[in-house]
Amino acid sequence: MDGSGDNNGDLGYQNRAESVMNCPSSGMNTNPFYASAWDPVVSLSQPGNFVGSSTGSQSEFSNSPFPIVMENPGISNTCHLVRYPSDSGFIELVPKFPGFGSGNFSEIVGSLGLTECSQIVNAGCPPNYKEANNESTSHGAQRQEDHQLSEETTIGALPNGKRRRRAAESNSPFDPNKNAEGEFQKYPSGESSDSAKELDEKKQKIEQNRGANSCGKQVVKQTKDNPQSREAPKENYIHVRARRGQATNSHSLAERVRREKISERMRMLQELVPGCNKITGKAVMLDEIINYVQSLQQQVEFLSMKLATVNPELYNDVERIQSKDILHSRGGNEAIRGLSPGTNSHQYSHGTFQPGIPVIPNPNPHFSPAHHAILDNELQSFFQMGFDSSSAIDSLGPNGNQKVLVISTQQTFVSIFLTCRY
Amino acid sequence: MTTKHVIATAHTRSIKNRFARRFLRSLLKMKRSNRLGTGFQSNEDIRKRNTQRIKTAADRSMARVVGPRKIWSRALLFKLRNRARIQVGLRNRCLVSKKKKVQRKEKKVQVISREPNRADNLRKLVPGGDSMDICSLLEETAHYIKCLATQVKVMQSIADLYST
Repeated sequence: MDGSGDNNGDLGYQNRAESVMNCPSSGMNTNPFYASAWDPVVSLSQPGNFVGSSTGSQSEFSNSPFPIVMENPGISNTCHLVRYPSDSGFIELVPKFPGFGSGNFSEIVGSLGLTECSQIVNAGCPPNYKEANNESTSHGAQRQEDHQLSEETTIGALPNGKRRRRAAESNSPFDPNKNAEGEFQKYPSGESSDSAKELDEKKQKIEQNRGANSCGKQVVKQTKDNPQSREAPKENYIHVRARRGQATNSHSLAERVRREKISERMRMLQELVPGCNKITGKAVMLDEIINYVQSLQQQVEFLSMKLATVNPELYNDVERIQSKDILHSRGGNEAIRGLSPGTNSHQYSHGTFQPGIPVIPNPNPHFSPAHHAILDNELQSFFQMGFDSSSAIDSLGPNGNQKVLVISTQQTFVSIFLTCRY
Repeated sequence: MTTKHVIATAHTRSIKNRFARRFLRSLLKMKRSNRLGTGFQSNEDIRKRNTQRIKTAADRSMARVVGPRKIWSRALLFKLRNRARIQVGLRNRCLVSKKKKVQRKEKKVQVISREPNRADNLRKLVPGGDSMDICSLLEETAHYIKCLATQVKVMQSIADLYST
């Protein structure tokens, strides 16, 4: 059976009817309706029948207990046999419906009857219900009106909460199916609860309420669900519920999400930028942010200039700072004490270390490289000594910005007690 | 004592500490290179050059600390690297080859043309802002502001160390 089905699938496209009908082992004794327009038609393995429609062929339904409903979203090529009695030997029915816009199908569906549809709805989806509608829904944009019909009828038949997308623009007045839809509505809403598996910020799918039947104006965005049969890549959708009185268009919902994201980020920025508590409005806020970023960048430049002028002393003490000071000063105190060595270099010949350093640009000529080397070595040994003198830390209070400058007696080094409150 | 030690370790991994560490290390490097090759220029020029160097060192170390996880840090590193390459090329006088390399790199930058927007100025300020949509632009701006503020604090404290 499967082999025959596969053969049919392989064979190609046009005029399946005869081949399928002639296929004895298909178990399909009825329903010779294959559209010539159908491309690969797969025969059922079941004694059940499948529904096909065609432009010209007759549409005959056997009243089997297993009506098969096809989902036909758009011009995509997949159609599923939703229900089959007992068996997992299920073969996909993959017809194409290019010429599908026939009234025959509506007849078919109409004859299918709501009861059958509801049967389908209640039926469990067999485990290897394939996920071809994944691909099919990707063609969702190209829906034709007539396909809406099949879509609506098959919606209930997707018990795993497959993604359904109704084009907002579709206006097909498929009255006979409104009621069916009413039934189907329950199903998706029931499913959205369990199928809220993956969320993504980008894609959102909506099932649109069709006006009259909708109770309240609640629209549930379906999440796309991949049943276990398929390891398709996860697609995530956001689950958004439109509030009462708000537009339920898919576009407007997406826009609203986007707007909310932007406003959330603006709020975050408002906290970061000082003095923006009273500002309401994105425009002013943006200007404030721009000003703040500019001012920060200018500060960085200014500070780097300042550091450049402080240069030589900075270079001297860099190792000391590196090890201790800045790194651990989280509201804490740091005491670094360096003692002058015996062999002092006479760089600071002019005496004390001038606090107003930035004004003095060039101590460079005073220094000779050799001295630097000596100083460095001494420095390293010294701060190890100095760091143990934690008593100095304790002596300083925990709070307050205290800066104490201690000048060594030999005036070669500067040891600084610095507390920085960050 | 123990509490202070605990405090120290708890914050060793913060952005501020990491940045401070890196920045100071780069200053050290600068000091060594300064020792080697100066003497020909006037002090003014030395100062200017050092200013620029310090600024790039600060930016680069900040971008490195943040890592490639953020768009702006990647863009900043890219820009700095390009600039360094151009400078090296000029120094070595291999203009041709370097230019080619630079041009090749420049092609990678995407250009997205949009209508003039209010956020255009912000895009100019934040590195890499040209190729972001508003949503991620705002996010990146928030992170960028945070890191800039840390940078300013650290540099301020270093400068304070010497200017009191």
